[in-house]
Amino acid sequence: MLELAVDGLAVAFPGLDAPVLVVEHLALRPSEHVAVTGGSGSGKSTFINVITGLERPTSGKVLWSGKDITRLSETARDRWRAEHVGLVMQDFHLFPGLSAVENVLLPARLARVADKALIARAHDLLNGVGLSRPDQKIETMSRGEMQRVAIARAVLRKPGVIVADEPTASLDVEAGETVGRLLLDMATETKSMLIVVSHDQRLIDRLDRRITLRAGRIVADSFREEVAA
Amino acid sequence: MIRFIAADLRRLWLGAVVVVLLVALATALGVTVTLQERALRLGSARAADKFDLVIGAAGSETQLVLSSIFLQPAPLPLMPGEVLAKLSKDPRVAWAAPVGFGDSFAGYPLVGTTRALIGSTVSGFAEGRMFEKEGEAVVGAAVKLPVGAEVKPMHGTAQMGGETHAGVVYHVTGKLPPTGTPWDRAILVPIQAVWHVHGLGHDHGHEEEEEHHQGEAQVTQAAAATDEHGHTPLEAAREHAEDHQHEGEAAAAGRPDEDHDHHGGIDADAVIDENFAADAPGLPAVLVKPKTIADAYKLRQEYRNGNTLAVFPGEVLTGLYATLGDAKMVLSAVAAGSQGLVAAALVLVTVTHIGQRRRQIGALRAFGAPRLSVFAIVWLELFLLVALGIGLGFLTGLAAARLIANAFTVKSGIVLPVGFTGEDLRLALILLAASAVLSAVPAILAYRQSPAAALRA
Repeated sequence: MLELAVDGLAVAFPGLDAPVLVVEHLALRPSEHVAVTGGSGSGKSTFINVITGLERPTSGKVLWSGKDITRLSETARDRWRAEHVGLVMQDFHLFPGLSAVENVLLPARLARVADKALIARAHDLLNGVGLSRPDQKIETMSRGEMQRVAIARAVLRKPGVIVADEPTASLDVEAGETVGRLLLDMATETKSMLIVVSHDQRLIDRLDRRITLRAGRIVADSFREEVAA
Repeated sequence: MIRFIAADLRRLWLGAVVVVLLVALATALGVTVTLQERALRLGSARAADKFDLVIGAAGSETQLVLSSIFLQPAPLPLMPGEVLAKLSKDPRVAWAAPVGFGDSFAGYPLVGTTRALIGSTVSGFAEGRMFEKEGEAVVGAAVKLPVGAEVKPMHGTAQMGGETHAGVVYHVTGKLPPTGTPWDRAILVPIQAVWHVHGLGHDHGHEEEEEHHQGEAQVTQAAAATDEHGHTPLEAAREHAEDHQHEGEAAAAGRPDEDHDHHGGIDADAVIDENFAADAPGLPAVLVKPKTIADAYKLRQEYRNGNTLAVFPGEVLTGLYATLGDAKMVLSAVAAGSQGLVAAALVLVTVTHIGQRRRQIGALRAFGAPRLSVFAIVWLELFLLVALGIGLGFLTGLAAARLIANAFTVKSGIVLPVGFTGEDLRLALILLAASAVLSAVPAILAYRQSPAAALRA
């Protein structure tokens, strides 16, 4: 269970006049399911990178349950992310040559935390996302199946937050539907916060809250009830 | 991690194979040079081991050793027979054996010598017995002739267009055990027979002239070879001729060119006389076994005068090794250069490769792989390939050196001991250490790469 508080956040790049992202204040509750939308260049990716510790902001705080990850070293941020963040990306980033279950376990193995229980969980998860052949080579799978493997990988260590960057953008409608449903199910099951960057209206509509970015600033922040109303 | 690397290498197997082969070839080049040079030194030193002192007519020390010990076919200047007589009676000499060359049979050189030399340089016979009569011969271990075979000597060698000596036949009576020296390829006959075949030693009165005639016959032979085979360099014949003019001062006596067919035959049943008198025919070389080391030095001193030359083969070889060492240095530099090029190419290729894999590496980091794991993956992947290449290179180098050594042994009879020593182990460790450092270059690049930037790319 993690909650997020962002304070006075700014990300600027040398050579650019305006900062690419400015967030004065933002709070996300534990287990909240949030959609982040906005056009390209609106700062979505930077937002994701900063709150997951992939990128350090120019100024400001990113507090995860009170812990400011911007003050951690790169190595410590890597370790924190491995433990608390489950990432799902548009183009999967699965590793060819390895089987589905090996892909699910790879980050854990590289971090030397893959024990018997975790291996068993990897198999259960693959089953849970509807893949019955854990030893199938990843490159022989369809795109929809690949994204399901990526979801299993993301939730393996029961992360406090699942961050999905355009998880359905490269999938057909049907596969996107499955992936969206799986993401929500998994997040609910592990009581994780879910942050989804997406243009997929059907997926966005299923989330509790919608944050819209434009030119690096939050221009709208609404809850589903309001949207529905 | 190992599985990840294995999967990666399987996927990029073609590139991996090329890297391994490149490294293997570059390594093998250096290894072959080192092994071959060492083997050549050891092998030639062992071949010369049995012969302490060689005495010949004044001329080239190197040529004297190459012809008398390594049985390289080249005309040597002759020295008067009295040298042999004097040496035979010298109390400091354990034995002194003349050697005579010039003829061959089926590609094997015929060497005229004495029973004393054979008896004291090899232990016993593999087969048969020593020659007892003028028409008998003993063959080295590598000569493919059975005991009882007939040997019809040819003047010079077949390549030089030599002719068979009419009516001269030796019978093989024994085969020697292998010695790993050029003498394994020699057919040994009584020196007396060699003299008689060439019409020497019968007519003592014309000894002087005959001696020079032999030299000229060889010149004629070389010239004839030029005529018969248009491709034989004329220069070679000229050089031979000049050599002889330099060496034989008495060549000015100007014998007319004559066919050597008038040369005498042998009396196959004649008893061998190995008590050499002062009027023995001229000799290209005498191999001497001094009784003590002090005697060896005294003898060498004594026979180093205007007309004769005395050398320790080991000493001459040392001089040759210096040349060999220079050649090795050049070859080693070439090999090292190629290794450097391969190393540079590898770094370039892997750095490019890492660039292409930025996203993959960034993703690994994003999913929580520790930086050190990323470093280890990249480092191990390259290091494994290079180490495998180095290992293969050493084996290839060994195999190549063995092949060359075998070919050399077949041609020369000298057995070359090819093998690894501690020095090679050191080289291997140095190469491995260097490749470990090289592999770290792309690994550090991967380590320092920011995952966010990599994913954005």
